[in-house]
Amino acid sequence: MSLKVLKYLLRKLLFLLVTYIVAATIVFILPRVVPGNPLSEILSNLSRVAQANPEAIEAAERELMKQFGIGKPWYSQYVEFVTKALRGDLGTSISFYPRKVINLIVPVIPWTMILLLPATLVAWVLGNLLGAFAAYKRNTWMDKGVLTVSLIISQIPYYWLGMIFIFFFGVKLNILPVQGAYSQGIIPGPSWSFLLDAFKHYILPFSSIVVSAMGGWAIGMRLMVIYELGSDYAAFSEYVGMKDKRIFSYVYRNSLLPQITGLALSLGSILGGSLITEIVFNYPGTGYLLFKALTTLDYPLIQGIFVILIASIYTANFIVDFLYAIIDPRIRLGQEE
Amino acid sequence: MRKVFVSFLVIMVLVVGMAQVFIPRSETVYVAGCIWGPATSWNFCAPSPTWGTRQFLYLPLFIYNVAEDAWLPMIGEDYTFINDKTIWVRIRKEARWSDSTPITAKDVVYSYNLQKKLGMGPNAGWDSYVESVKAISDKIVEFKARADALNYFQFLTYSLTAFPAPSHVYKDLEEKGVSIKDWKNDNPVAQVVSGPYKLYHSDPNMVAYKRIDDWWGKDIFGLPKPKYIAHVIYKDNPSASLALERGDVDWAGLFIPSVWEMWEKKKKPIGTWFKQSPYFMPGGVILLYVNNTKMPLNDINVKKAIAYAIPYVAMIKKAYFGYGAQAHPSMVIDVFETYRKYIDYDLARKVWGSEDGKVKTDLEKADAILDKAGFKRGKDGIRVSPDGKRLGTYTLAVPYGWTDWMMMCQIIAKNLKEIGIDVKTEFPDFTVWWNKIIKGEFDMVICWSAGPGFDHPFNVYRGVLDYRLSGPVGEVRPAGDWERYKNDKIIELLDKAVSTLNLEERKKVYFEIQKIIYEDLPAIPMFYGAHWYEYNESIWENWPDEESPWWFPSAPWQDFAQSLPIIFGIYNRGKPQPFPAWMKLKEEGGMMVPTSKIFEDLIATTK
Repeated sequence: MSLKVLKYLLRKLLFLLVTYIVAATIVFILPRVVPGNPLSEILSNLSRVAQANPEAIEAAERELMKQFGIGKPWYSQYVEFVTKALRGDLGTSISFYPRKVINLIVPVIPWTMILLLPATLVAWVLGNLLGAFAAYKRNTWMDKGVLTVSLIISQIPYYWLGMIFIFFFGVKLNILPVQGAYSQGIIPGPSWSFLLDAFKHYILPFSSIVVSAMGGWAIGMRLMVIYELGSDYAAFSEYVGMKDKRIFSYVYRNSLLPQITGLALSLGSILGGSLITEIVFNYPGTGYLLFKALTTLDYPLIQGIFVILIASIYTANFIVDFLYAIIDPRIRLGQEE
Repeated sequence: MRKVFVSFLVIMVLVVGMAQVFIPRSETVYVAGCIWGPATSWNFCAPSPTWGTRQFLYLPLFIYNVAEDAWLPMIGEDYTFINDKTIWVRIRKEARWSDSTPITAKDVVYSYNLQKKLGMGPNAGWDSYVESVKAISDKIVEFKARADALNYFQFLTYSLTAFPAPSHVYKDLEEKGVSIKDWKNDNPVAQVVSGPYKLYHSDPNMVAYKRIDDWWGKDIFGLPKPKYIAHVIYKDNPSASLALERGDVDWAGLFIPSVWEMWEKKKKPIGTWFKQSPYFMPGGVILLYVNNTKMPLNDINVKKAIAYAIPYVAMIKKAYFGYGAQAHPSMVIDVFETYRKYIDYDLARKVWGSEDGKVKTDLEKADAILDKAGFKRGKDGIRVSPDGKRLGTYTLAVPYGWTDWMMMCQIIAKNLKEIGIDVKTEFPDFTVWWNKIIKGEFDMVICWSAGPGFDHPFNVYRGVLDYRLSGPVGEVRPAGDWERYKNDKIIELLDKAVSTLNLEERKKVYFEIQKIIYEDLPAIPMFYGAHWYEYNESIWENWPDEESPWWFPSAPWQDFAQSLPIIFGIYNRGKPQPFPAWMKLKEEGGMMVPTSKIFEDLIATTK
């Protein structure tokens, strides 16, 4: 790798670092702008418990205010957030007190990763193949079929698609479990019966995500390929009598480039989870945790999730930049000019 | 090398294959409606411990039964009043922690000091009413009421519902420098509990508890029937209700629209407390809080007109599926026989002009009241106060997503517009809504107040009317008097109600408070919120309901172990078991002591 490429990557890294700090600051500010009370969940629960005495509610309020430093000026809260975050401490959740933010996020990450990582990749691969295929057969009935179906599927609201899956496979055919990550009554552990059971529960959420995401990729890919086919090098290759398949493989690789950027963004945001999938299929994951954090205005939890989420998006971005520098000579050469 | 690898694989398969764990369905009660997010902690002092902690793991000295207005001695065995400000509670000699250490008076004293230090816990705030907690002997603990803040209700609550703490465990932690506040007590093996269950498993999907088969109380109470209690963490109400419908859940505390369809249309073995409307027992008084600091909204004529304009019956039926009755304007829950004596029916009848003393919706009357008070209608039909202030636009707010309350708001706003008060509905996020309430920065909101309890209706009066719990608008005061009503006479009466042992006098005080309520209408009682409770009899039978009301409260989410007896009284479908005799009043051969008896004993010390 040349020095120039290294310089290019270094500059990218620096840029990411600066935007990361800005993003983290925004994440700190935004929830505090909402005129809500982060202690709402705990205090209102106390107030609803018939025997909670007014004294108990006030004592808890004072204690929690102190604990979370909510009454403190924003700058001292910010300094605390940053210094703690730099030490890797994301703080304690308010709504799920006394659990550490990190201990809330970590147990749900595997569920989200196991579901969304393969689903996103499979959707991407299948979608691209399908889109390329449609472009290759452009203006035939196959192309029109792929295009129409993709358009329809990508426009169907996901929760509706999910419910159709549930209704068809779970209720009508009754062949697949419709909710949860494993059967009620099974304790997760390294056993075959658990893995098999978890796999059965995995099929519906997984395939519904693949189906709903595939359409978008296919449409994008089809357009890209058609555009590339119209470019000079494709026309030139055709004139010199290159084989159709050969041309197509070049075109395919070139069309894939923008799709890789899209994939990187999707992969990066995986950690945000898929709230609707999790709700429709009652599947554990980070989406629901983020939803809970936002609706209860749990400052530390919101901050914690976003700090990790943004970091993962940036990392994915950086990796793509890195890959680009390797696979796309235009960038490499552009740096050398 | 290959051989080694293959045999390694075979061993792995075998090991893994054997490691499977199941919770047998027929031995498990599945619960829904109590956990809606990640489990927090099993430290009973945490501000909101995971459901189960104060339901099955840690128990108070006594458990209160609302239906009988009586107390079930759990860890406590009995009590003696030494004088009118001192009570001795004796702890059962059998009582021991799950590690076999006896439960002693010292555990109660330790628990109280700990909760005071933390400012958290089920008995937090005790020092406002209790002067001292002392261990008289190994098994006798003494509570002394504060003479300068004498409140018999709170004194009894804090002495009878004290949670002993496993002091040997906590002291160990303190010595090791563990912050008790942040201690999660999440290791099933190391848990030391007083109740009949222990944590068995917890993950982002569910929480499960397992029975302790040699629980100390088994010779006294028997063992609870289910070997496991499990709660799947559902993401929303519909998925939890669906699980109940499918028989995956046995015991639920959920809001379910048109719940009767479960048995009438779908023919499922599902029940609620009543077979007909209101289907649920009352859980608390729901009021329309009108901000008493906003002129001219706080004008008594305006508030009275609002009270007449609310379409109680229609609203409950339309928006609330009929899950509750119209509340009595006295704020006393009149569904329970034991509380009716606290209602001054003559006064209510005279003021509100109806047979049961409840407010009858009457728009003409509401109009007449405003007309008479000089609120003239402007060109747009909205009234203007005699000093020229337009009645509106006011907001009526409930949290977004609370569909039943949202619909009520719309219904009420429509009626108020008809009588010339301009009201628009507002549905902010819960945290925003709650923040407005505790700061007193609202026009009108629908919100809860206290419910049934041995101190009812005092608990409601205090929460709604005691201005010592609130402050100036803008100050965060979550404990009560959200509508910022201020009346010194009420304070005087409230203090009298709790410091007298003359029950006739207490009743008279309640009557006087009702008079003031009718004169000032600080907040308008609307209906009784439902005590959400459903059961599915596919696996477990004999759940308490209207026909066999053997225990109430019956909802699984009840704190202070108040619904623990439920799991002692149910049994597997088709396998009836003798009903635990202890679940009756003492005079009927059981163990429960009526509140009235406790007060009699207390009064006897003054003679």
